[in-house]
Amino acid sequence: MDNMIVVMMLGGSLFLGAIALFAFLWAVKNGQFDDEEKFLNAVKFDNEDDLNDAVNQDKKREELKKKAYKPE
Amino acid sequence: MSNNIPCSHCHLEFSKDVMIKDGNHYFCCNGCQGVFHLLSDEGLDSFYDKTGGTTLTPPTAQYEDSSNFNAPAFYDKFVKTNSDSFNEVSLIIEGIHCSACVWLNEKALHKMEGVLEANINFTNNKAHIVWADDVVKLSQIIDMIRAIGYNAYPYDATLQEAHANKVRKDYYLRMAVAIFASMNIMWIAVAQYAGYFSGITQEMKTILNIAEGVLATPVLFYSGWVFFRGAYYGMKNKVVNMDLLVATGASLTYVYSLYITFREHGEAYFDSVSMIITFVLIGKFLEVISKKNAADTLDIIGKHLPSEVTIVKDEKIVTCKLEDVIIGDIVVVSSGEKVLLDGEITKGEGSFDESNLTGESEPIYKKSGDTVISGTTSIDADIHFKTSKDFEHSTLSNLVTLLESAINKKPKIEQLANKLSEHFSTAILVLSFLTFAFWWFWPHSFEESLMVGISVIVIACPCALGLATPVATLVGLSLGVKRGILFKEAAQLETMAKADVLVVDKTGTLTVGKPEVINEEILQEFDYRLLYSLVKSSNHPISHGVMKYLQEEDKVDGEVIFDEFTQVSARGVVARYQEHIVIGGNYKHMIESSIDVDYISDKSVFYLALDGQLVAIYELSDKVKENAQSLVETLKKRNIETIMLTGDNEKSAHSVAQEIGIDNVNYELSPEDKLAYIETLHKENRVVVMVGDGVNDVLALAKADIGIVMGSGSDIAVDISDVVLLDSSLSSLLNSFKISQTTFRLIKQNFMISLVYNAVTIPLAMAGLVIPLVAALSMSFSSLLVVGNSMRIRYKWKRN
Repeated sequence: MDNMIVVMMLGGSLFLGAIALFAFLWAVKNGQFDDEEKFLNAVKFDNEDDLNDAVNQDKKREELKKKAYKPE
Repeated sequence: MSNNIPCSHCHLEFSKDVMIKDGNHYFCCNGCQGVFHLLSDEGLDSFYDKTGGTTLTPPTAQYEDSSNFNAPAFYDKFVKTNSDSFNEVSLIIEGIHCSACVWLNEKALHKMEGVLEANINFTNNKAHIVWADDVVKLSQIIDMIRAIGYNAYPYDATLQEAHANKVRKDYYLRMAVAIFASMNIMWIAVAQYAGYFSGITQEMKTILNIAEGVLATPVLFYSGWVFFRGAYYGMKNKVVNMDLLVATGASLTYVYSLYITFREHGEAYFDSVSMIITFVLIGKFLEVISKKNAADTLDIIGKHLPSEVTIVKDEKIVTCKLEDVIIGDIVVVSSGEKVLLDGEITKGEGSFDESNLTGESEPIYKKSGDTVISGTTSIDADIHFKTSKDFEHSTLSNLVTLLESAINKKPKIEQLANKLSEHFSTAILVLSFLTFAFWWFWPHSFEESLMVGISVIVIACPCALGLATPVATLVGLSLGVKRGILFKEAAQLETMAKADVLVVDKTGTLTVGKPEVINEEILQEFDYRLLYSLVKSSNHPISHGVMKYLQEEDKVDGEVIFDEFTQVSARGVVARYQEHIVIGGNYKHMIESSIDVDYISDKSVFYLALDGQLVAIYELSDKVKENAQSLVETLKKRNIETIMLTGDNEKSAHSVAQEIGIDNVNYELSPEDKLAYIETLHKENRVVVMVGDGVNDVLALAKADIGIVMGSGSDIAVDISDVVLLDSSLSSLLNSFKISQTTFRLIKQNFMISLVYNAVTIPLAMAGLVIPLVAALSMSFSSLLVVGNSMRIRYKWKRN
């Protein structure tokens, strides 16, 4: 019984840790830490305008993509 | 000066009287006013809330036509098409001061139709832009960046940078996994050690072992992959390297620990597996990032612009790819442009800067019928010339070909770490095998003998050895970077420390390379504002020299705006201010303007005449840089001989050498001669450091063991050099010697520490006296010693 508790706690904490690790690996692969200055400054510029801007950029990309694939 | 107010755009402060008033705002120039209005119109004026008072560069510079950026040749070179058939380019943005600048550029580009992505890195000012070419052209993007007060030029990201970035990211991932697993293994190990001393059930031990094993597996096979790869390449070349020792040590320990875990008897060493990999991986990573930093700066220095020339075809002026120009084509070069082909002038005249090729610092006057050489720059000449060679056979590409072969034949000085680690690794592997054999034949169980054998490898843990060089060189590199000295590769610190001869170029290296005023003679009082405005308007080096002199001597008390201004090729300038006629230029210019001059010198002279009367004379010459003498003296004390090689004539070579105290002088050398000279030094088995700045030094720089180039040097010289001195000063040169020698001493000390450590612990391990706790502790301790020792130097330098 004692041993089972240790196994569960080890398994549980390592699992949680692994989730955090994979999140970090994903962020690194995604380029979120490429520019340390910008990463730190991002907090300052994080407002509604910038969110809107990001959404608009995505929309623009989708539209142009559609246009590019339009059948001749 | 209390009535100075800041400009509403750039925040530079000026007196209220000279500013442009516009509503509630004041501007220092039209450029700032233009940008300010553009930003308000676009709704981007919240930019000014974000700058927080940082001063910006006023957007006054004039740029050449941006349509060059749309040329097919340019697209071929810099623009890539991604999988969604959008275009991508990498740019370097000039003029970024703060994070608000980054914000503004990104927003302004995002607002453009067709721009899909604009991502600017604040640290190195590099931008990555994705756009749809059928909606917007690159030139429009560049124009937008210029319109808001910045400038952009493209660079080829595919070369070194993309690769360096990929490698760095790869290491990040591997290190993240290794550090995560090691930290978790460590707290499990605490339970193991506690159990070792106070008793623990075998079942609990097995549970802990399995948990450790699960964590150690990705460390060995994912993070440790670099060592297996390194060991494989080493074996292929029949070299026993450090990677092999790390790989065998870690995997043997891993297999043994697995065996212990399943037999449920004895001690597993998963903690050692992950610790070895993690520590040595960190050491390798330090080497990788030290390379990456240098690559960043180089891209900024080596500006790349479209490689196109303007030619006259069928009486029309067209642009054409450099490679497509054939012999006999008429090429147009305007003032300030680089000559990219060889030929003979058919129309026009003016001065050329040939310092790149010959080292001659004074501009050379050329007229119709004279030959122009590729690689030189037109200072004020607008000419047409007939090409005599195609690009492949031009002087410039000949140099490049010679250069490539020189780089390939560059001697490699073997590094202490490589030499040492080969012997060390072999010795440890042999010792551990002998220990195992000895224990087995001296009747012990196979298992026990194997454990002792492996403990030798584990205790001889190469952590300290693996960290010795990278940590020390990283400290050395960062010392250099803070002082404007960029070593492109960590290994060069060591090579430079072994150097015993310094070869220097004269122009631009020992001397400033630009004419400076050495003598001023005022014949008549005059308004300094006229002279200052006159020389400021001209881009001739002589005018620049006079302008700098006036600024340094604090004789500037304002500017005037001329009503008329004309530049006369190879003569000087003429300007009219109200009723005054101002003429500045050389002797010829004065004679032709019928002004009496009775002062002649063998140096360059700038004459100033006001209303037909000579009022001032400025004598200019190339000055020797500060600290030149102390550099030569200090190096002599350190047993490094200084030799001067120059393309200049005997007289000027000797006068500079005498002033500085160099005995060994060689003059009138062509680039090939310089190369040959370095080769003779190599034959005498000397380690050569070469310092230069121009294209004429490039061959020698590539051939020398260490090529140092001044930051102000030509692009190509910066590209092939090993060390760049950003501030172009001789004290930096001396510092670079000091830093490399300090670092090398540090490396040697670190090796001593780790070798002494091994000499003590390996016999203990061979005798089978090492318990796991001691092994783990001593391993960390030796690594800490090495890191601590390296940091010590950093603080020592800081105090000085």
